[in-house]
Amino acid sequence: MNPALHVFAARTSGVRRMERGVFWLFRLATYFVLLCGAVVLLNIFFKGAPTVFKSEAPFINTTFLTQAPESLYIFEWKGRRMELGDREFRAFKEKNPDAAKVEAESYVYSAGGIFPCIVGTLLLVLGAMTIALVLGVCAAIYLNEYAKEGRFIRFIRLAILNLAGVPSIVFGLFGFGLFVIFFGWNVSLLAGWFTLAFMVLPVVVTASEESLKGVPKGFREGSLALGASKWQTIRKNVLPYALPGILTSAILGVARVAGETAPIMFTAAYVVRDKLPWQVERFSDAFFQGVMALPYHIYVVSSKIPQNEHTERVQYGTAFVFLVLVALIATVSIVLRNHLRRRHQW
Amino acid sequence: MTDTTITAPAQFPVIKRRLRFLGLTRDDTIRAFFGGNALVAVIVLALITVFLAREGFGFFAQNRMNLEVYRRAGLEYVDFIRQQTDDHTALTRYLADIRLHWFAVLTEQEKRPVNDANAALAPFDAFAEKFAAAVEPLRALASELGEVATAIKTKFAVAEDRKIEREQLLEAGKEAAAAGVKIEPIDFATELEPLLGTLPAYKQTSREFARGLVTLLDSAPAIPTPELRRRMDNLKRLTRDYVAGFPQIGQKLETWDFTRPVAAGQAFTSFVFGRQWLTASFWQDWYGIIPLFVGSLMVGAVALLLAVPLGVGAAIYVNQVAGVHEQRIIKPGIEFISAIPSVVLGFFGIAVFGEALRQLSQVSWLSWMPGFPYGERLNILTAGCLLALVAVPTIFTLAEDALNNVPRAFKEASFALGASRLQTILRIVVPASLSGIIAAVLLGFGRVVGETMVVLLCAGNRIAIPDFTHGLAVITEPVHTMTGIIAQEMGEVVRGSIHYRALFMVGLVLFALSLAINYAAQKIVRRYRISIG
Repeated sequence: MNPALHVFAARTSGVRRMERGVFWLFRLATYFVLLCGAVVLLNIFFKGAPTVFKSEAPFINTTFLTQAPESLYIFEWKGRRMELGDREFRAFKEKNPDAAKVEAESYVYSAGGIFPCIVGTLLLVLGAMTIALVLGVCAAIYLNEYAKEGRFIRFIRLAILNLAGVPSIVFGLFGFGLFVIFFGWNVSLLAGWFTLAFMVLPVVVTASEESLKGVPKGFREGSLALGASKWQTIRKNVLPYALPGILTSAILGVARVAGETAPIMFTAAYVVRDKLPWQVERFSDAFFQGVMALPYHIYVVSSKIPQNEHTERVQYGTAFVFLVLVALIATVSIVLRNHLRRRHQW
Repeated sequence: MTDTTITAPAQFPVIKRRLRFLGLTRDDTIRAFFGGNALVAVIVLALITVFLAREGFGFFAQNRMNLEVYRRAGLEYVDFIRQQTDDHTALTRYLADIRLHWFAVLTEQEKRPVNDANAALAPFDAFAEKFAAAVEPLRALASELGEVATAIKTKFAVAEDRKIEREQLLEAGKEAAAAGVKIEPIDFATELEPLLGTLPAYKQTSREFARGLVTLLDSAPAIPTPELRRRMDNLKRLTRDYVAGFPQIGQKLETWDFTRPVAAGQAFTSFVFGRQWLTASFWQDWYGIIPLFVGSLMVGAVALLLAVPLGVGAAIYVNQVAGVHEQRIIKPGIEFISAIPSVVLGFFGIAVFGEALRQLSQVSWLSWMPGFPYGERLNILTAGCLLALVAVPTIFTLAEDALNNVPRAFKEASFALGASRLQTILRIVVPASLSGIIAAVLLGFGRVVGETMVVLLCAGNRIAIPDFTHGLAVITEPVHTMTGIIAQEMGEVVRGSIHYRALFMVGLVLFALSLAINYAAQKIVRRYRISIG
């Protein structure tokens, strides 16, 4: 033992060694989890990026981002291997009449792009979040500003808590039963919006309430003391300060809304649809049309077509775009929140 | 001088004119509006219950009808005989198993070439062939009767369709067309006559079959090794038991009565305890939730087994051991994992993880693991591992909250008594927050059971109760789950059909399960919370 150490210095005893060992185990568990998450993300980023980016200008694969999905045809032609999308293949056959008999392997959805899915997902997220935020923030205002503790409030809180635990597929069934069949909206954006909005409602309410709670009590009291009504107080002196926190709740909600597949499977998503959402005859039809959506497209391309090097492109590309889109929406919300927070500080 | 006259008090200068809206002031209206929004959660919960029940409860009446037709049309009767032939198939499979072992003994222990080994097994093969062929007359009878029964069932189904058609026509006011729809009445007694008339023939065939089997057993070829001999003796015993059961089957067929009503409870029990989920079958559809329930449970169990140590360990580490800087990296990191959409995880499982895990299972030094090596890349283990990644953030966040809520004084008191950090964590902090941690685990379980896309893509989707006879190796079998079956079959069923309603019933079970888990978690938190202060 080193005699220079003072009397209170920790001695390496068996107990201490064990303590260190156990802590290392905990540390390993933590970093193992992070590693697993990183592996999943990096795998998709590295395999998906080549689909979306190119090595020459403009560096982005615009066909993938702006075209609709097509079937991919692969065949041998005069000693060369051809990979053509549906439309190109038809044009090719017209140009070369003797190509009509050529035997081509075909893979559905493996050519073209995913533009309709991106648009559909954006529409779903926008609509669902609007509904959820209106309902959720109003509910949070009531729970935090107006309600007095009592049996009724406890009942509402219990309902919110339980709603948070309901599996997403059950929301899907519920949306199918209520909106699609009972209201007769069929598979439509509107049905998807409401289904998704009800699903994220608990997240939005809980997070909004937290942020309302964070506004100091003095703000309300000061305003009320000056003769403002309750609503004026809330509108002018509570909501602006709680807004950053409410936007955080929106971020949490967006990640869930964009990511869930099960609720939209029977309420809003089509496997394939030729028309884009704005190609409708009447304005009102826009709400009653189904759309393609990224998460559902990922499900379709990963379960309905075989896994090989030709289909990998669209599979990883879709997953990559999906993750980037979710991250993008989240980043925009975070930037917005920081901006607001700087304006309202106390 | 003082003026003592009292003047009337001046009127308050501000007169508030209140706008009334349905007898409410403006503030009251706003309050009511917000209150209404708060009620949405309650309303949605009620609506979910109502609509799942509305679509689902019709299942029981339809299932009762389904079971009734099963009996009236004589399918049940034929199933007794089919069961008999199926049991025989199981015996022949056992025989094939013996051959496999014997072959292994010949080629590996005695080092005989393959052709030689096959030649040595020739007498055994002849025996096995005779054994398998003995059932043929009975099987022919069963399939013949089966055709009769399905014909009756089809006839009944056609008549039902006609009835619906006529009702629809009547509703539309087309009386003449409705009268034109001919409904053939079905008299089950006469329809069943040819079926029931075959009973003597069945008895004859069955008796010959029994005699044939017993005499065949005596001519079984001699077996070299004791291990194989034990198996052969086992087969003989099983066959004798099987043959001894024949009279019972005969009795069942004799006493079988197609008019016996199906009890109302049976429609319920055949769903809750049914061991078969069989749809769109030419013979008879069964809607038993047990295989799906067991599948969900198995996947959830594997996921929890992995996620609980990782999630709770990480929570303890972050809350008690890690420094502030480390916390700032780890917490958002794990929250980010929870933001990975489940369909992406499922895709990762199908594209990369399933195959990687299968390759890993083929590595020889890992063969001690239960079930390793295995061939199917999508199974309980694959789905369970990926679902663990879904459950970890939930468990981590909630457990960390629970640990955070333990008052500092507990820790300080422990340190003051000279306890080490590890002792303080394991004996003071964790027990004090145990209720919260258990609730976290429960909610994690709820999350895993309710997860759809990962299990739909990665659990293998085979609708059968996994084979538990090999112990823990069961985790490498493919299963189907409650969430998966809804997602997979909902898009393809006819609205209002029994299959459609059965899926809603599965949804209702899931819903009830999630509520129960939530309730239990809240109860535990409230009941076992250590009184603080």
